[in-house]
Amino acid sequence: MGIEEHVMLFITVIIPIFIVSIILYLIRILKGPTIPDMVIAIDAISYDIAVFLAVLAIYFNSPILISCVIVLMLWAYALDVYVAKYLESREMGE
Amino acid sequence: MINWILVIIGEILVAIGAICDLIAAIGINRFPNFFVRLHALTVGTIGGAFVPLIGVALIALGAEFLGFYRFFMAGASVIAAILLLFLAPVGSHAIARAAHRSKAAIVYPKVVDRLEEDREKGVIE
Repeated sequence: MGIEEHVMLFITVIIPIFIVSIILYLIRILKGPTIPDMVIAIDAISYDIAVFLAVLAIYFNSPILISCVIVLMLWAYALDVYVAKYLESREMGE
Repeated sequence: MINWILVIIGEILVAIGAICDLIAAIGINRFPNFFVRLHALTVGTIGGAFVPLIGVALIALGAEFLGFYRFFMAGASVIAAILLLFLAPVGSHAIARAAHRSKAAIVYPKVVDRLEEDREKGVIE
């Protein structure tokens, strides 16, 4: 078995684990009783989708997908900081 | 031979990351309150995103069937992993501090909370 078949078989096995994790995070986003709960669930789902995109970039052999990973990470960090600022002082900061 | 070593190490790292992600997803549903769920978030951040991104970089370096662009994929993965290692703990600390100060998340099953008592007495701001 060559390297290509080995990598493809491994990624095919690993993809359902990521999808199950995304569904479990979605349950917490929909259910979350307070706003910080939803925010940390959205953070976790962003990091999860970023790793999923990086794995899919190898699977589909398309380097375009890998540049979306950095954007997703910075977006999750910006969401954290903005929501923290809003919760502390009730304004978004101008 | 070196390609096989890189690919196998990368696959082990990606498998560890997927398992950490699943554990974090279960924990974020089962834990009782916000400050305990923060622990599950950080498991899913470092174990579930930093480790598999390094693994993806190693796989992309070792897999020659990806063509010339595999170096681009490996470099972008390493940069994303290092950014995440710096930025994700900062974000989780900021949201935890804001939630405690603004009382948005109630600490329900608690034994003692000295920070809140000090803040009510006016010892600290």
